[in-house]
Amino acid sequence: MPDIQVVLTELGWPLAVALAWLSGEFIHRWTRLPRISVYGVVGFGLSQAFPDALSSGPTSTVTVLANLAFGLILFEFGYRINLRWLRINPWIAVSGLAESAATFGVVYLISHLSGMPSLTSLLLASLAMSTSPAGVLRVINEEDSSGQVTERVLHLVAINCVLAVFTFKVVVGFWVFQTSGSLTQAISHSLIELAVSAAMGAVLGMLVPAVLRRMGKLAQDGTIAFALGVILLVAMARAFDVSPVLATLTFGLAARHSRVAFSRTERNFGGIGELMTVLLFVFAVSTLEWERVVDGLGLGMLLLLARFVVKAVAVGAFAHVGGISWRKGLLTGVALAPMSVFVTLLLEQTKYMGIVLVDELAALAAMTLVLEVFGPIITQRALVWANETPNKEDR
Amino acid sequence: MPLEEFKSSKPLTMGVELELQLVSLSDYDLTASSPDLLHLLNRKPFPGNVTPEITESMIEINSDVHTNHAELLAQLQLTRDVLVQAGEQLNIGICGGGTHPFQKWSERRIFSKPRFKEVSELYGYLAKQFTIFGQHVHIGCESGDDALFLLHSLSRYVPHFIALSSSSPYVQGNDTLFNSARLNSVFAFPMSGRAPFTQSWSTFEHEYFAKMEHTGVIKSMKDFYWDIRPKPEFGTIELRVCDTPLTVERAAALAVYLQSLCRYLLERKEEPPVEDDYLVYNYNRFQACRFGLDGTVVHPKTYESLSLREDILTTLRKMEPHGAALGATAGLQHLVQVTHEGSDAHYLRQQFDRSGSAEGMVDAAIQRFREG
Repeated sequence: MPDIQVVLTELGWPLAVALAWLSGEFIHRWTRLPRISVYGVVGFGLSQAFPDALSSGPTSTVTVLANLAFGLILFEFGYRINLRWLRINPWIAVSGLAESAATFGVVYLISHLSGMPSLTSLLLASLAMSTSPAGVLRVINEEDSSGQVTERVLHLVAINCVLAVFTFKVVVGFWVFQTSGSLTQAISHSLIELAVSAAMGAVLGMLVPAVLRRMGKLAQDGTIAFALGVILLVAMARAFDVSPVLATLTFGLAARHSRVAFSRTERNFGGIGELMTVLLFVFAVSTLEWERVVDGLGLGMLLLLARFVVKAVAVGAFAHVGGISWRKGLLTGVALAPMSVFVTLLLEQTKYMGIVLVDELAALAAMTLVLEVFGPIITQRALVWANETPNKEDR
Repeated sequence: MPLEEFKSSKPLTMGVELELQLVSLSDYDLTASSPDLLHLLNRKPFPGNVTPEITESMIEINSDVHTNHAELLAQLQLTRDVLVQAGEQLNIGICGGGTHPFQKWSERRIFSKPRFKEVSELYGYLAKQFTIFGQHVHIGCESGDDALFLLHSLSRYVPHFIALSSSSPYVQGNDTLFNSARLNSVFAFPMSGRAPFTQSWSTFEHEYFAKMEHTGVIKSMKDFYWDIRPKPEFGTIELRVCDTPLTVERAAALAVYLQSLCRYLLERKEEPPVEDDYLVYNYNRFQACRFGLDGTVVHPKTYESLSLREDILTTLRKMEPHGAALGATAGLQHLVQVTHEGSDAHYLRQQFDRSGSAEGMVDAAIQRFREG
C-alpha cells in the first residue's frame, strides 16, 4: 500500500482539474455564471485544503502546461486584433493609452499613500494596468458575443497588456539593476527583450501560414499547425528568456496580418484547448495563500474599486468620439475587469529571478483571487447589458 | 385588412433596395452588429435610407425615387461611401453577395422587432436560413392594370436578372454548383413563386386577394414572396429575384435594364402575356439559378431553346433606343460587359481558387464593394 501522501501528490492535479471542470459545467448550466469563475473557486478551495498535492514550481510540468495554455489563448487573441482599425479609428488607441495611464497613476498613488515602498507601488501599478486576455476571451467565446463592446474590449486588452508587460519589465529591470545600473539601462534592456519576443512571434506568424499554403491544406483548418507554433514559441521564449506573452500575441497578430493565407482554427483550439484552460485557471489561483489574501483584503479591495472606476470612466469618456453610445463606452470599460491569469503568469516568470512578489504583496494576492472569480462575471454582465449576446430563445 | 388602392405613380421611375452583409474582420463570418452601425449612422444625415433587417448581421439601404441612371448611381455610390466609412470606424466589413459563403444559420441572431420575432416563430429554421441578401428594384406604374401587365410580361425576362445578378455560389461552406443558390432558400416559403395570372387590378383585388385573405393564409401583400409583386402603396412593381451584386454599379445597371424593359413592354409591341407563358417559367428560372449565363432557356411563345447569354445580349441590343431615351446607356453597357466577363458568382469562385478559402472570398467581396 503506497503512502497516502505520495498518492495525493501524484493524483493532485488531474483530480483538481477534473473536479473543476465538472463543477464548471454544472454550475454554468444552472446559473449561467462563467465557467472560468467556477474553476477559480474550486482551484483555490482545493489548493488551500491540499497545499502539497497542488504545489508547483517554476519548472514543474504544470507551470509549463499553464504557460502553454496561456500561449494558445494569446495566439487566438492576437488573431482577432485588427491593427488597421487602430489606425482608422485612433480613438480606440487613445482610450487604451488613457485608461492604462490613468490606472497606473491612481493605483500608484493609493498604494504609495497607504505606505508601500515606491518600487513595490510601481510594480503593483504596472500589473493593475492589464486586463487578463484569457478571462476576457473565454467569456466572449462562451457567450458568443459580437458587437462594439466585444470588439473594443479585445483591442483595449491587447493595448493594456503590451503596456503592462513593458512597464513591468522596466520596473523589474530597474529593481534588478538598482545597485549597478540606471533607469535608461533598465528601459533599453526591457525594450530589447520585448523586441526580440515580438520578432520571434512575427517570424513564426509569417512562416506557419506560408507552410500551410505550401501544403495546400488551406481549405481545412490550421488548428494543429498553429498550436504547434505556439508550443514552439513558448519553449523558445523560455529558452531565450524573453516574454512568451508578447511572443504568442505577436504570433497571432502576424498570422492574421501577413495575409499569406486565410486559415481557420477551431475556437479555443477545440477540446484540448478547453482542457488546457481548466488547468490554467486552477493553476492561477493555486499559487495564492489564504493568509496573504486576508492580510491584503483591505488595500486590495480599495485598489480594485479604484481600478474599476478609472477604467470605466477613462474608456467611457472617449465613447462618443470613438463612434459608440456613452452606454456602450462605459460597458466597454466595465468589461475590462478581469486581471488574474495574466498577473500570475507574469509573476511566475520573475520568481526564478529572485523576486517573489506575491509573497510580498498581500494586496496583489487578494486582487488576483477576487478578480479571478468576479472579473469574468463582470465582463459577462457587461456583454449581456450591451445586448451583444444571443437571447436564450435564439439558442 | 383589405388590399390598399393602387396609388398611381409616375411611370418608369425607379428605386433600389439592397440588403448588405455585415462581416467581422477577424474571422470573416457574419457579425450581429447592425445596432452599432445604425447608432453611428443616425448621428449624421444619410444619403438615402437605411433600416435594420431580420437578422442583426444584415442591413438594408434604399435609394430615393429616380428617373435616370446617373442620379441613381451617384446616390448609391454616396451611400456606399458613407456606409464603408462608418463600417471602418467600427471594424465591420460590409459587402454584397446573395449568400454568406460559410455562415451557419443556427448562429444568427434575430433583430428584436415584433414582426421579425413573429416571422421567426412561424417559419422556424427557414427564417434563419433566410439569411440571404437580395436586391429589389421598384418601377413606378400609372395604374394597377399597368402593373399587372408589366408583371406578367416581365416573367419571360426573370432569368436574365437572375443570371446577371447571380452572386451566391457558396452556402454553409460548400460550392452549391448554383450561381444563385439564394433563390433556393426563397422557394422554401409557401407563398413564393409567381403571382397568379390576372391582368386587371380589380380582378386581382376582389377575386384573388380577397379570397386569399378570407382563407386566413395571408394578411397583407407582405406575406407574398413572389418573384415580382405589385406594391400598391408605392404604385410600383417590385422585382425581387436579384442577388445583391458585389458592387452598387451593377445594382444600378440592373435597375436601368428593368426600367428600359418596362419602357419597351409598355409600347405593347410584343404579344400580350398569357397564362401558358408560365409553363416554362420554373424550368427557365432553374436554368438561370443553376448555370447562370451559361444556362439554356425555353422561349415561352416559340418553345425555342436559347442560350441565356445570347438571349440577354439580343435583348440588351433591342433596349438600346430605350436606354438612350432614359439615359440608361452606360448601365446597359455595363451589363454587356458582364455577359463577356462573367457574373459575380464567377468572380467569387475565382477568388476562392486564388485564396484557397471561403474567408478569402469574403475579403475579396469587401474590397470589391468598397472600390466598385
